[in-house]
Amino acid sequence: MTLSRRTFLQALGWTTGLLVVAGAGAYAFRPVLPYRGAPSRHDAAAWLRLSGEGLIEVLMPRAELGQGIAISFRQIVAEETGFALERVVAVQPRTDLVPPARATVGSDSLKDFGPLLAEAAVALAIVLQRRGSTGGAEPPGGWATLAGSSTLIDADDIARDGSNARSFARGEKRIVGTVQPVDAVRAMITGESPLYADDVRLPDMAFGAALRAPRLGEVIAGVDESAARGLRHYLGLFRVGERLFVAAETRGALERALAAIKVSFTGAPPVETDMLAMVDIDRGLADGAPEHGDSDARLAAGASFDLDLRLDVPMAAHACMEPRTAVAQFSERGDLTLWTGTQDVSFVRATLARELGLGEGAITVIGCRVGGAFGGKTIPTVEIEAALLARALKRPVKVQWSRGDEFRETFHRPPSSHRIRARVGPDGTLDVWHHAFRSGHVIFTSAAMGPALQAATSFIGDPGVRRGAASPYRARQARVGFEDVRLPVATGPWRGLGAAPNVWAIETAIDELARRRGEDPLAFRRRLIDPRWPRLARVLDRVASLADWPNRRSHAGRGYGIACGIYKEMSYAAVVAEVSREDAGMRITRLWCAHDCGLIVNPDQVRAQIEGNLVWSIGMALFEELTFADGHVAQANFGDYALPRFSDAPDMVIDLVEEGEMPSGAGETAIVAGTPAITNAIAAMTGKPVTRLPWRAGHAG
Amino acid sequence: MRFHLNGHDAAIPETMGDDRLLWVLRDHFGLNGPKYGCGAGHCGACTVHVDGVAERACSLTARDISGRRVTTLEGLGASAPEGLHPVQQAWIAARVPQCGYCQNGQVMTAAALLAADPTAGPEDIAAVMNEVLCRCGTQVRIRQAVLEAQRRLQEGA
Repeated sequence: MTLSRRTFLQALGWTTGLLVVAGAGAYAFRPVLPYRGAPSRHDAAAWLRLSGEGLIEVLMPRAELGQGIAISFRQIVAEETGFALERVVAVQPRTDLVPPARATVGSDSLKDFGPLLAEAAVALAIVLQRRGSTGGAEPPGGWATLAGSSTLIDADDIARDGSNARSFARGEKRIVGTVQPVDAVRAMITGESPLYADDVRLPDMAFGAALRAPRLGEVIAGVDESAARGLRHYLGLFRVGERLFVAAETRGALERALAAIKVSFTGAPPVETDMLAMVDIDRGLADGAPEHGDSDARLAAGASFDLDLRLDVPMAAHACMEPRTAVAQFSERGDLTLWTGTQDVSFVRATLARELGLGEGAITVIGCRVGGAFGGKTIPTVEIEAALLARALKRPVKVQWSRGDEFRETFHRPPSSHRIRARVGPDGTLDVWHHAFRSGHVIFTSAAMGPALQAATSFIGDPGVRRGAASPYRARQARVGFEDVRLPVATGPWRGLGAAPNVWAIETAIDELARRRGEDPLAFRRRLIDPRWPRLARVLDRVASLADWPNRRSHAGRGYGIACGIYKEMSYAAVVAEVSREDAGMRITRLWCAHDCGLIVNPDQVRAQIEGNLVWSIGMALFEELTFADGHVAQANFGDYALPRFSDAPDMVIDLVEEGEMPSGAGETAIVAGTPAITNAIAAMTGKPVTRLPWRAGHAG
Repeated sequence: MRFHLNGHDAAIPETMGDDRLLWVLRDHFGLNGPKYGCGAGHCGACTVHVDGVAERACSLTARDISGRRVTTLEGLGASAPEGLHPVQQAWIAARVPQCGYCQNGQVMTAAALLAADPTAGPEDIAAVMNEVLCRCGTQVRIRQAVLEAQRRLQEGA
């Protein structure tokens, strides 16, 4: 008997319904990207401890990637305990100090960790009060009596006293809601103390690099290292299983050795070269309905539509300024300590345990400040290399990826291809909305999953690909379906996951429908937004007012575009873009954004995240594209990959909407509205929708 | 091989003469300021001042700076109040950094630009700052900080 897809999914407890929000059961299959539940009170009890100097140390369950989570957590703890902010310090995640926590992804640190942290902090304040210490005053007997203890509070204290927390309650606050400078700002602009993994220096530390085949599908056939042997400071070639490493005592010697070593390769690079063509939605639709989504997601053929739009989004790079870097050191006993900038120290530890055959108790992973991540530092890579090489070398080693590795050895935002068909009824509301798309994988990434898991999960819609695909606009008949395509190039999470391309596609289509009807795109959206989303309607109204939308008129030289979007059904953004045509192309001259992520802990950091998202929107709309050629990603350095630069970022006017809802997240929200606002502004100038990212003068449409 | 590093006389071992200046500064002298970003002069994360001019430490060898005066981020504010050059003060006031990794290049490039051309206009500033990449998207605040630093430097002059 053949196990039908539906039976198989039922057996797993999965649902394919695209518009059904995946609950906790959705990860029952446990993909290699680990799912961990929301933190518990038991976890939270371990996040706070006192130092001998009378400081509260926040043992961070979430990594500092530049999103300002350390200062936000410190503000919450200071608010609840009465300690001065300077006396609350953040310690980056380390596996020996904090229980495993969900990876720092999904812009949900304040939503899922913030309130619990506040409860733990207020419980700590009450324990301190009992010991005679109020508002940060030294207790009788001194701080030493409490220092280093991780047992000052437990889950019961938090359960009993947590309801006294005020950070997320209505009412006056001291520190939550105020602008405070981020952690380590002085170190970042003076270099006076170590922050990043590359700032870790150990006695006797060597430097290493993996030897790699340059093309996908190739393996190393032979190595001739004779020319490197005489080099001063060269330590040799090391084979660990299938992997080959080169090591040296200095980075200069390492570079000379890599240049001198001759490597030959064998194998067959993939024949496909156009990743975007591989996800071609029309090719997919010709084969039938998209695999995942509504049961009847096949687009009705022959029916008449007011809009039938094909939209394409290419691969893009994370392009973090900090390349992946790790330092590994084994003790005499064989225990491993590893420093790295990662979004997930526990996943690194679990992966190292498996790769090295060590118990997790023998491994300590120390998280360093991360020099940009954006989803890219979720999967261990350089950490495995550093650990294996340190063991082979029998000395500490630092492995830092080259910029070429960063472009060619990592995973990327998948390409996606969309077809949207829609019809407007006589009353001006949507009769039909059909959105079908195909994409490379996001969560079920081949960067982390072996062939067996890839085959098993092929039955299941990738939740990262699906993100943001549900339209916020009401339609009498709405069908959304998608298909994941296994590409030769590894693809995975990139800022916003599927929401960045999916909302861009939706907002482009809605805008084009309004244009064809001769309607104001703001009024059209306002009429169609499902009443389930009042906060979306609110940010749209706010940005329209902020940008004086009713008085903006587009012409051939200057266009105004508007767009809005929801991130993870928790955060809302609306953007107006002003784009001017210049000799060199299109220039974004102004951006306005209204943004609602609920209660705000540090308004300046929310603004910083919005600014970052808007700059990413400029990149996505105008610049960023990875291609594939000769068996590898064609781009190897920043010279080949255009990013937004200083003069590409215009003045931005930002309106923070805060109406008492609980905190959600700002890290990936504005990009969903920023990109389509820009392309809609271009469309307002040219009269034709931008249907292919990034916009190019030559592209059709 | 001798040179001046952050106001002090310093020596580089002869065996490191062909190494990138960036490696020598980071690994031999233990400096955190200059960062590896691309190794090809594209991103500017490794920027230092050589005789007061902004240079990419990834694209110079140790031998190239023999006898010359090198200032890194660590030495930039050495003689300023609280150890912070006006550009660094402006950076704090404008709350520029997010991840912070590129900020060495931003600060060092802006400081060299304003030293060479105290009245640099918006176009001059853009032409120079366009050559230093930031992925987090801090460009809006970098612009505010450069203008603020320019104001502070002019007032202080």
